[in-house]
Amino acid sequence: MSDHLPALIFLLPFLAAICMPMVGFKNREWCRPMAIVAVLAMSVASIVNFIVVMDSGEIRYAFSGWAPPIGIEWVDDGLASIIMVTLSLVALISLINAGPISPSNLGQRIVPYYTLILLLVSGVTGIIFAGDLFNIFVFLEVSALSGYALVGVAGGKALMSAFRYLILGTFGASLYLLGVGYFYAATGTLNIADLGQRIPELMTSKAVVGGLIFMFIGLGLKMAIMPLHGWLPDAYSDAPDAISPLLASLVTKVALIAWVRIMFWVVGAGTEVEHVPVLILLEEFGAGAAVVGAFLALTQHDLNRMFAYAGLSHIGIILIGVSLGYPTGFAGGVFYLINDVVMQAGLFFLAGAAMYQYGARTIEDLSCLRGQAPWITGALIIMAMSMIGFPPTGGFFGKWYIILGAIEAQNYLAVAAVIISTVLTLAYFIKIFECIFREPRPGSGVIPVEAPLSIKLSVGAVSAAIILLGLFSDPIVGILLDTALPPGL
Amino acid sequence: MLEHFDAWLHRPNFIVFVILFLWGLYIMVTHPNLVKKLIGMYLVQTSVIFFLVTLGVKSGATVPILLSTTEPIQVEAYANPLPQVVTLTAIVVGVATLGVSLALVTAMYRKYGTLDEDEILKRLE
Repeated sequence: MSDHLPALIFLLPFLAAICMPMVGFKNREWCRPMAIVAVLAMSVASIVNFIVVMDSGEIRYAFSGWAPPIGIEWVDDGLASIIMVTLSLVALISLINAGPISPSNLGQRIVPYYTLILLLVSGVTGIIFAGDLFNIFVFLEVSALSGYALVGVAGGKALMSAFRYLILGTFGASLYLLGVGYFYAATGTLNIADLGQRIPELMTSKAVVGGLIFMFIGLGLKMAIMPLHGWLPDAYSDAPDAISPLLASLVTKVALIAWVRIMFWVVGAGTEVEHVPVLILLEEFGAGAAVVGAFLALTQHDLNRMFAYAGLSHIGIILIGVSLGYPTGFAGGVFYLINDVVMQAGLFFLAGAAMYQYGARTIEDLSCLRGQAPWITGALIIMAMSMIGFPPTGGFFGKWYIILGAIEAQNYLAVAAVIISTVLTLAYFIKIFECIFREPRPGSGVIPVEAPLSIKLSVGAVSAAIILLGLFSDPIVGILLDTALPPGL
Repeated sequence: MLEHFDAWLHRPNFIVFVILFLWGLYIMVTHPNLVKKLIGMYLVQTSVIFFLVTLGVKSGATVPILLSTTEPIQVEAYANPLPQVVTLTAIVVGVATLGVSLALVTAMYRKYGTLDEDEILKRLE
């Protein structure tokens, strides 16, 4: 039974998505409970899966019994199981949060709305477990297609953002597929474990290097690494408030996980092209993204856009961590990724709650929160502490391990980038808090809407999760160092 | 230099791929009309699919179905089936993408009454 856990985790949201139109046809009110139950069951299965993997080692699941490399294989190792637990729990909280703040003009379209959310979650699951480069492409597209439709679901201005996201996302997917084609032409296999044995000695081949570059640009468009981020701020700020937490916490992070799989499991950590280590280049990409993203966040006025740029800079920090080429840095990067999933979800929950209760869209509007919304402000302070990196939140320990790894690698550029980005993060949160705590502008007496329980619950859960991640950072990083490290690191 | 040209001419499929890919990219970047952008995007996708499917071609080979189970398998006699399978899935993904994108464009046309990107952006200001 426990051998089938990866497939079970995928099938729970996927089958629920397929049954959703039938259930929704009977009664539209059942859609949301059904989606929540499906993702709750998936979270329980992920936790069981995590315990099984920790107890008895990785599970390799060969679909319909065809042994890899001929058949399609799913790899459920330490890294995949830990990320799966995080993502399924965050998806569950986002889904609970999504109910009351979902677009009100959906009507009958509420059925496809929840179907798409479940398809997004199942696509994300597929990317995490996929042990095959082409499988990653298929699931990237499953999650991305649901993402495009969900961004545009409310209509209006979001349609144009969704269209841009679609054009750039599809172009990225095409480039990724092209890179996969290059790898296939060079080796004759698509299985990650099999490629991992053949690619490292082929790194002198122009086809393999070209394929790697295409894959990086393709996945870079999906994870919105700095110069390729054009679609992200518009898409996240125009998407419905219920959807942006899901997109921000799942989609870009999963593309990063796919890249980590390719970089470390296929290409190998110590690979050099013409005496230039590949990892150094990535780490410099990450450093650029971390600093420029935080700087752009500082210049924003719209709350959602500010948080979207903050997410871009954090993608950069994660990329720095995993690209240092040392176990401490890698574990720190993955730990920071877990934190970032939670923080991004939390920030967009708060932006959604501020919009729902007070109609606050820009940071100037936030002045109406003063003295009225203790729990939004309190949660925002916890998020800010974690984003900036104050102990005892998870963000502090993530950055701590990344900087430790960078010092171990004697990479002072990475240290500088993380610290500059931290200072800039502090700056834009000061900007937010300055708006909240200064005297309210005359005539801005907004009568707040009472927050429904679901919003309070989700914001509380995320804040608690950030503190817990900080308090238990030591065992989590220990588990990552023991079980989630790629071969050869 | 000349031998490079010679090598290229032995791989006409790669030349066609490059032309289709760049053509699609050019249309995607330059045309303000949203449907034409989609046509460019579809050309890019199709060029990649074309590249993949031509990887599995062998001259004189037949469909990859074993003619006899007793004789030893001759690899040269059959086309490589894997790129074809991969391509089939990629085509399905492409069709799904086209469906979503056309739905978005239709919704935009209903709302703004135009397909011109500049016009829509002006209306959004």
